[in-house]
Amino acid sequence: MTRADVHTFTGVYALHALSDREAEEFERHKAACACCTQEVRELQETTARLALATSETPSAEFRTRVMAALPQIRQLAPLVPEGRRFFGLRPLRWRLLQRRMPQLVVAVCLVIALVTGGFAIDEQRQEQRQRHATEQAQAEAAALNALLAAPDATFRSTAVQGGGSGTVVNSQALQRTAFVYQGLTELSADKVYELWYSRGGQYVPAGLLPVGAVDGTTVLTGTPRGAAGVGLTVEPAGGSARPTTTPVVLVGLPTT
Amino acid sequence: MHSAVRGDQPAAPGPGALETLLDRVSRGDQQAFETVYSAVAGPVLGLVRRLLRDPAQSEEVAQEVLIEVWRCAARFDPDRGSAMAWIMTMAHRRAVDRVRSAQASSDREQRAAAQDHTPAFDEVSEQVERRLEREQVRRCLDSLTELQRESVMLAYYRGCTYQETADLLGTALGTIKTRLRDGLIRLRDCLAVTS
Repeated sequence: MTRADVHTFTGVYALHALSDREAEEFERHKAACACCTQEVRELQETTARLALATSETPSAEFRTRVMAALPQIRQLAPLVPEGRRFFGLRPLRWRLLQRRMPQLVVAVCLVIALVTGGFAIDEQRQEQRQRHATEQAQAEAAALNALLAAPDATFRSTAVQGGGSGTVVNSQALQRTAFVYQGLTELSADKVYELWYSRGGQYVPAGLLPVGAVDGTTVLTGTPRGAAGVGLTVEPAGGSARPTTTPVVLVGLPTT
Repeated sequence: MHSAVRGDQPAAPGPGALETLLDRVSRGDQQAFETVYSAVAGPVLGLVRRLLRDPAQSEEVAQEVLIEVWRCAARFDPDRGSAMAWIMTMAHRRAVDRVRSAQASSDREQRAAAQDHTPAFDEVSEQVERRLEREQVRRCLDSLTELQRESVMLAYYRGCTYQETADLLGTALGTIKTRLRDGLIRLRDCLAVTS
């Protein structure tokens, strides 16, 4: 199981089709990977449906045997939440994130899903190119994973003027910022959303959202060092060196 | 609640009902467990039997699974998935473990006999197809590519590891791994699974 392809083990894991050793290895990865956890969960809901399709009628004797056994069985007490026993900060943060911001996790996981999903379309011919794209997407997803799991990560959500919402995720420790967005207004082909750091009263270009994207996650280029905030504007295709319109998003970054 | 569940119509409590029932089960409520039993005993037994074939052994494992639900109800965490998925994952895991330990011992003792014991792929596929009780699952399985469907069937309904699946289908290991995932994702979308 290599670092790059570990995400694609969700299916074989959900099907119990891994050896014990491989399953343990994947579980260690899954504990710190919200995307994998989410996908495994969905795939297990799916396999449960395959189980329902096999239903058989148990005999009355079977039922009697099960019920008769219960009084002799000692029931387990609930588990103490992991966080109280360990300082397993990363997995715990992931779990908290998933509970609080499921849409954020889904958005991040899309980065992987969009590309690895495309992998199946024409594998033979485009294998090389696709693998490269997959690795790139997975590297980006890994960066996002690390950012979201950073102990000092902050989340600032806001409505986007003109439609949609966004969350700026920032870690000073990692010197990285990402913008997670949902339901943005679709722009005409000659326009693009551009991200900015606001630093010392000036806007510094921080990358473009993919053309046509209305939902997704983009890691900002450059670092948040010394930046007071993050902005988003609508610019002519290709982007601008300075904003040419009023920001549709302007979010302050924590100063440290 | 004292009648056995009809095989083709498992009792289906409303959404969230099974989760609430498990909470009561975790506090020793036998009546709640009887309702859970009505909803899940049919598919648990059916799934285990699909994997193990032997009726007596299947009942034994299905019984273990249901008792495990009683024993571990407090460990069920609704944040991590539905109660049905929790129980069916447990049932599948147990049955697969039994398949593999049986395989390991018979491999040691008698490789040829083990070969005999394992039905040919076409036969399994046909039986599985014939016995699928839910039209929707059948329809969605039909929407998969042949390789996706065959590998999902071998892995899920026969308990093959992906290595064994790759060997049986004469396909590269990496391909089987991605086909299994692609197949499940397509099934998930086709069955409109939410989580």
